[in-house]
Amino acid sequence: MKITMINGSPKPGENNSGTLIKYLTSLINENETDVYNISKLKLSDMQFEEMKKSSALVFAFPLYVDGIPSHLLRFLMRLERMDVFDKNTMVYCIVNNGFFEGKQNHIAVSQMKNWCIAAGLTWGQAVGIGAGEMLPFLKNIPFGYGPNKNTGKAINEIANNIKTLKSGDDLFVSPNWPRFLWKMQGTRIWNMRAKKNGLRETDLYN
Amino acid sequence: MNLMIHDLDNGLFKKLFKTSKDMHVISNDGSIQRCIGCFGCWIKTPGKCVLKDGYNNMGEILSKTDNIIIISRCCYGGYSPFVKNVIDRSISYLLPFFKTKNNETHHKPRYKKRCALSVYFYGEHITRQEMDTARDLVKAHGVNFNVSEWNVAFYKSSEELLGEVKIK
Ligand SMILES: Cc1cc2nc3c(=O)[nH]c(=O)nc-3n(C[C@H](O)[C@H](O)[C@H](O)COP(=O)(O)O)c2cc1C
Repeated sequence: MKITMINGSPKPGENNSGTLIKYLTSLINENETDVYNISKLKLSDMQFEEMKKSSALVFAFPLYVDGIPSHLLRFLMRLERMDVFDKNTMVYCIVNNGFFEGKQNHIAVSQMKNWCIAAGLTWGQAVGIGAGEMLPFLKNIPFGYGPNKNTGKAINEIANNIKTLKSGDDLFVSPNWPRFLWKMQGTRIWNMRAKKNGLRETDLYN
Repeated sequence: MNLMIHDLDNGLFKKLFKTSKDMHVISNDGSIQRCIGCFGCWIKTPGKCVLKDGYNNMGEILSKTDNIIIISRCCYGGYSPFVKNVIDRSISYLLPFFKTKNNETHHKPRYKKRCALSVYFYGEHITRQEMDTARDLVKAHGVNFNVSEWNVAFYKSSEELLGEVKIK
């Protein structure tokens, strides 16, 4: 069975959507999986032809101002207009956001559901993951453990549904970590990153 | 100041709206680039986007605005790609730092002044579900951008907007 994963992060280097896709892929690797990074690559007709053969489409993307990032939206409209997919093609998505609460991804998930209806495809499941920018700091902790416990569990569940092409309830999770600590660490990290750019803390309030 | 962000073609826009000195209009000239998620507008050139395409100054523009008026085709219960692109490029309006409001995290504001947000969605086949999503979206966008009030309206076509848009 063929599964197409679409990474909707526009970040040039490593990105959190990519980290989540990597883990998901490791769980469903008995299937043929293609990963496309739509903001780095202009898909060719041949790649669209390949995509058409997939039983499931998995969209992994960051939440941008409470919704789907604009470049992914353009891509979705293009897919809808092409009208090439079989109506049984399942749609899954993994949305990650910056704020602590994974629940804040629910509007982007509704937009994806509306797209799924407009494109005439079948809805599978969505997972919304909070505090996405913590992921690079948790690289040495396996999914399903410690702060990554909830995230791992949610991705395991969606992986099982993808493997069997089933639908499931949407899951919204935050890391197993106190929110106040996340907030303090977040503030420190912004200041550290600014310092690397030669700025002082006060410059950020410019 | 009134700020209008719209996705109409310029001919139609001119037919529908009279612009004045007190109105800043942001429209699609085809040159807008997508946000690249670098956070440069917070930690490299605070308050300004690092991409240089003429749409890099949204934070400062918003800081001078009393009234944001958005006119957008409704796409899957959200803004159209151009309008969303402008909004995605506007996060320099906020600070990177966090606050908690109604038990949810959001960003602290960079500016003291607050503005109102009015959104006019148009589209022939907007479904009920899309309307629900769009209302949720505008509310969340409003909370995130720390606006003083927000409202949402739906129209079957952009022509119906004639005389409908309230400019303070
Ligand atoms: C333009 C922009 C808008 C964002 N808007 C939100 C938002 O509304 N809510 C939120 O929780 N995070 C928001 N974020 C944070 C991203 O969702 C977060 O950094 C995510 O982990 C990025 O994932 P990626 O590495 O896959 O791109 C925004 C980030 C950017 C660059």
